[in-house]
Amino acid sequence: MKDKIFGVLQRVGRSFMLPIALLPVAGLLLGIGGSFTNETMLESYGLLNVMGPGTVPNALFLIMNDAGNIIFGNLPLIFAMGVAIGMAKNEKAVAALAAAIAFFVMHASIGAMISLNGGTENMLSGATTSVVGITSLQMGVFGGIIVGLGVAALHNRFYKIELPQVLSFFGGTRFVPIICTLVYVIVGIAMFYIWPPIQSGIYAVGNLVLKSGYAGTWVYGFMERLLIPFGLHHVFYLPFWQTGVGGTLEVAGQVIEGAQNIFFAQLSDPTVEHFAVSATRFMSGKFPLMIFGLPGAALAMYRCAKPEKKKVVGGLLLSAALTSMLTGITEPLEFTFLFVAPVLYLIHCVFAGLAYMLMHICGVGVGMTFSGGLIDMFLFGILQGNKKTSWIWIVIVGIGYFVVYYFLFSFLIKKFDFKTPGRDDGEETKLYTRKDVEAKKNGTNSNTKSGNNDELSQMICAGLGGKKNISTVDCCATRLRCDVFEANKVNDALLKSTGASGVIHKGQGVQIIYGPKVAVIKSNLEEYLETAPDEETGFDVAESDSEEKNETTGTKLVKTIVIASPVDGIAADITTAPDEGFAGKMMGDGAVIEPLNNMICAPVNGEVSFVFPTKHAIGLKSEDGIEMLLHIGIDTVKLNGEGFEVFVEEGAKIKKGDILMKIDLDYVKEHAPSIVSPILCTELENNEKIRLLKTGNIKTGEDLYAVDIYE
Amino acid sequence: MKEFNYTITDEIGIHARPAGMLVKEAGNYPAKITITCNGKSADAKRLMALMTLGVKHGDIVTVQVEGEQEEETMAAMEHFFQTNL
Repeated sequence: MKDKIFGVLQRVGRSFMLPIALLPVAGLLLGIGGSFTNETMLESYGLLNVMGPGTVPNALFLIMNDAGNIIFGNLPLIFAMGVAIGMAKNEKAVAALAAAIAFFVMHASIGAMISLNGGTENMLSGATTSVVGITSLQMGVFGGIIVGLGVAALHNRFYKIELPQVLSFFGGTRFVPIICTLVYVIVGIAMFYIWPPIQSGIYAVGNLVLKSGYAGTWVYGFMERLLIPFGLHHVFYLPFWQTGVGGTLEVAGQVIEGAQNIFFAQLSDPTVEHFAVSATRFMSGKFPLMIFGLPGAALAMYRCAKPEKKKVVGGLLLSAALTSMLTGITEPLEFTFLFVAPVLYLIHCVFAGLAYMLMHICGVGVGMTFSGGLIDMFLFGILQGNKKTSWIWIVIVGIGYFVVYYFLFSFLIKKFDFKTPGRDDGEETKLYTRKDVEAKKNGTNSNTKSGNNDELSQMICAGLGGKKNISTVDCCATRLRCDVFEANKVNDALLKSTGASGVIHKGQGVQIIYGPKVAVIKSNLEEYLETAPDEETGFDVAESDSEEKNETTGTKLVKTIVIASPVDGIAADITTAPDEGFAGKMMGDGAVIEPLNNMICAPVNGEVSFVFPTKHAIGLKSEDGIEMLLHIGIDTVKLNGEGFEVFVEEGAKIKKGDILMKIDLDYVKEHAPSIVSPILCTELENNEKIRLLKTGNIKTGEDLYAVDIYE
Repeated sequence: MKEFNYTITDEIGIHARPAGMLVKEAGNYPAKITITCNGKSADAKRLMALMTLGVKHGDIVTVQVEGEQEEETMAAMEHFFQTNL
């Protein structure tokens, strides 16, 4: 149960990443636009003549300001769609559309309820706001998340729904926006009654946090850092940044809720004299920690490494420290010591809380878009001027942090002999380089040559227990987040050797921490998984199971090539073919399938060697060199092409799953002796044997049979 | 090397089944047997190669035999084409 909740929370957390990834760009626009249109700032730097009101640069900056502002202004809608996309299992585009529709419908319903009940005058002040032009309840990003989660749940349940014949047009994915509209009319009406009490509750919590003062700030900072190893920090800080939990404030005549929203509202309001510290207390603490503290820790780890390992470790730590300083992404660095010395991490959390508290005490008013790196500090601190932000304190406290972190880490690492990178003789904390990985791989039986040369993805896939064990793949800023079907198939050590700085494995949720490059790793992995043959549980199988396989034949199995089913249907042994020639394996060995749908897809990656003039048969050559014949139906040569539509031509490169041809099932059934289709390997050598993997119902892309190649 | 020409009389040409039979027949002889049609050539012992030719009714194919037992192979091939194609 606990693991299940972790799995769901993990998915919610990562579904936030798509909208959150937009914030730095929006912040950049707003930050630059807002700063250079701020007359106080221009005046103090003497730039009023160059880019004051009425000049061309001023117009440009105003546009940038508004472009950035509109994103922050409509975050609820963006979150609704982003969360729906993140949480939907399939057909994500439909979920996004449904989420936007549901969002409008819900707020329109709330708006109608408000005017039916006497308009905004009868509501608490600050309870209503304009949401995309609709007068509705102030629900903040919560409103978006309610829509996103609800729509995703409806979507996952209904996107494959089959309706009665007359209504079948509205079935499947088309049903999703329809049901979402209906449901969210009701949700909207319900929200009109439910939300105001919740709202008061949230404000009460917000008040409590605000009143808790410096201690409250410390707790916030401590908790936020403590949740990072579990990847749940986004779920924690977002309410503070985006909703009434983080306080409310009137800015330029409008009630704004959420710490980050308040900061950015003030940023575009030229009359603000100093940014509200009550809001930035949830953000500013990151700066001294990330720009100064953690690099200090990195230096300490470097100095504590063994001399012969300093070079390797230095590169690793330097890049991790720079990432932390510039972008405020700290996980690559934090994970180098989190797993080997949890005590250090706990101390780090205490200092994190302290950093937030010190910034609060010093009245530092620097906000951020995403995290506390130099980029954000420059835009929202230095550029806004010390008068408005007191950013100078970040540097003063920061230098202290650097010194403290350096000496404290050095002392503790040496005292307790923590195995931080470069201090261990064993392999545990070593970060494997690419060479190690390849050396290891060549040592094992390399039966995984599938023409897909993406070794890293291949290893990750194997570490996760093979393609079939992977349920979903996603990522946030630094970690690959996967769900697997069977937790015990996951090989943490193998995953770690793929260059990860850490692996968190809880039940069916697996997080592998790579750092900012994770987005690329994720895309590669997804691409790889799309084409990967299922048998590639490769690595461990090759090591442990190969002997078992040998016994069955006496000769050594060199390679196995898996052929997928080209069509949904019913699979059977080739000898059952209703044709002597095929049944007698005269044309080759393989299997027969009785197609149940009309799309014939490529069973392997490879090339089309011919399309028979009457279109009923296609020859393929797989990238492993296996020659295949897909012969659709029996005696279908006599149909002279009727009932077949072929989409590929001779020489075309194909990927497994590509559609090759479309058949008119009814026509072929009626005019040919049988629709049963032999799927053959035509030129098998004596050492190449067919092993049928599935009979009965089979789906397109599922493993049909294996070609075992012996020595 | 020996060769002969043959005009395909079978209604549907060399499709999967006759190609399979031809491969089987050709496999009985050690000689290299090549079928040429419409400017393309194929090894008669390879099914996929044969099917690539796309031989249709009325096409003229050239059958070449080269190697051991040429005479015997020639005769067998001629007989095969006449009875089956």
